Amino acid sequence: MGIKIVPRYGNSLKEKLYLPAIVGGMKVTFSHFFTNLKDTTKIETLCYPEQLPKDITPRYRGVHRLTKREDDTIKCVACFMCSTACPADCIFIEAIEREDGATEKMPKKFSIDLLECVFCGGCVEACPCDAIRMDTGIFSFVKKKREDFVIDKDTLLSHKPMKGVE
Amino acid sequence: MNTTLVSIVIFNIVMALVVSLVFVPVLVWMERRVAGFIQDRLGPNRCHIGGVRLGGLVQSFADMLKLVFKEDYRPSSVKEKLLFTLSPVIVFVSAYLSFMVIPFADDLVIDDKSYMMQALPIEFGLLWILAFSGLGVYGLMLGGWASNNKYSLLGGIRAAAQAISYEAVMGLSLISMLIVYGSIHLGDMVRFQGELIWGFIPAWGIIIQPVAAILFIITAFAETNRAPFDIAEGESELVGGFHTEYSAMRFGLFFVGEYIAMGAASSLIVTLFLGGYQIPWLNTEVLQEHINIIFIAIVIFTPIVSYIFAQWIRKNNVWLDPNDVRNKETKWLIIGLVCINILIVASLGLFLIYGIGENGTNISVVILQVMTFIVKLLMMNFFFIWVRWTLVRFRYDQLQNLAWKVLLPIAIANVFITGVFVVVLGV
Repeated sequence: MGIKIVPRYGNSLKEKLYLPAIVGGMKVTFSHFFTNLKDTTKIETLCYPEQLPKDITPRYRGVHRLTKREDDTIKCVACFMCSTACPADCIFIEAIEREDGATEKMPKKFSIDLLECVFCGGCVEACPCDAIRMDTGIFSFVKKKREDFVIDKDTLLSHKPMKGVE
Repeated sequence: MNTTLVSIVIFNIVMALVVSLVFVPVLVWMERRVAGFIQDRLGPNRCHIGGVRLGGLVQSFADMLKLVFKEDYRPSSVKEKLLFTLSPVIVFVSAYLSFMVIPFADDLVIDDKSYMMQALPIEFGLLWILAFSGLGVYGLMLGGWASNNKYSLLGGIRAAAQAISYEAVMGLSLISMLIVYGSIHLGDMVRFQGELIWGFIPAWGIIIQPVAAILFIITAFAETNRAPFDIAEGESELVGGFHTEYSAMRFGLFFVGEYIAMGAASSLIVTLFLGGYQIPWLNTEVLQEHINIIFIAIVIFTPIVSYIFAQWIRKNNVWLDPNDVRNKETKWLIIGLVCINILIVASLGLFLIYGIGENGTNISVVILQVMTFIVKLLMMNFFFIWVRWTLVRFRYDQLQNLAWKVLLPIAIANVFITGVFVVVLGV
């Protein structure tokens, strides 16, 4: 094991004067300032409401959606697995008998309180028939009243998967 | 009292108001946009009045309105109510008053009578400035004490420690300048800087006395509580330092006072070291002699510069949503620019054809010098902002070390050497 000699800085006159180092730092900041002043369009800032983020991946957990069968009817069988798995108790389901014979049950009401939801994805994991998914990529929901945040079955069915999924 | 005197006094007072109070929103805007550009961000650019954004300048007015209309709240723990209210006033007033003796232009001669172009026509300008800029720190100390809060108290202590470290160096660097200029009248100092050394170098303070200039600029940073010496505020370790307990317009006065102090320090640096209102190589006499050539130069260069500026606006002032009202601003700005150009070129053309007489010459020289002063002031302010977003904060023992062990000996040596030079050369 040889001895490693760590070089010590700050003892030369140039370093003790501080001013050369300060001038160097100011050169760096000024070059940034000048290039950005010449062309502000090259700045990476995302002007949010006009420009939407492009880096939302398929795994991103956005607002939920209910999937459909091939014949455009709801896939959910109202088994209550998702609302049981939900740590925030924000899924409210009311079941009725299904008339068309595809399955035995279907939800009459299926609503999610987005203010309670913690977006953990537990409901998606719990669902036995892939009826609920969080692949819409919707990250922003703004409503005027507290009640409006409880979204119902029709809204959930109307959500589309984000681009690039399936 | 004749009309000339009254109008000149009014012009001077309005100028002092413009350069101090009206510049505050501009400086706040400059600070935020420059910080943004230095850090590769955009900075505030969304706020608009009917589509006019002026590059985000409107944001400053919105912020001011917010501060004015906030609830004027004072915590019940504050016992020294008078001092608590008084300290922002001291900061604001002392910063504001130090603007009053800055000469905006050379003495204006109208009908063989000379008028001083300062808001307060007094001849002991430098002493006035030293008195009032030194008072500002009492506001911080009293505010820190009266808040009855440990963070504020620490901020006040730091302000006091800072004051005792920079004041001596600042005074000594000014003494070497006084030896050179031989006057405490700021107007005389600027007139001195209009001369040329060896016929081709402008005799600016920074060229004659570079060491004093550096010392004074460093201490001016400490005096205005700007980074790298904003230790009294110290928002990362002291919450807000002396203004932790302040809100609404009481805080607003501290805030405005800081920017006015920055402007005052910048204008003093410009006046003492950067030639004040003097255009390099063109002092007042030269300007008065060759006013026609200057007019022709302005007539030629204004449209060229405006054209480049308009191209820059067209390239950079875009809003992504094409239907937004903010997209119409570019058109309005360019129309305004064209109008200003037509006005300048037409009026200067008329002056060139018909001549403007002696009084007219003097007045146009004064206007040119005021513009030069404002340009220099903005550049110095930019320098303050640029330094703030480059350097890190000093610890206050480091500031004292720097001031007492490094800067003070240099300052004393500088005074000594300057004195020897003046005595030996007999200037």
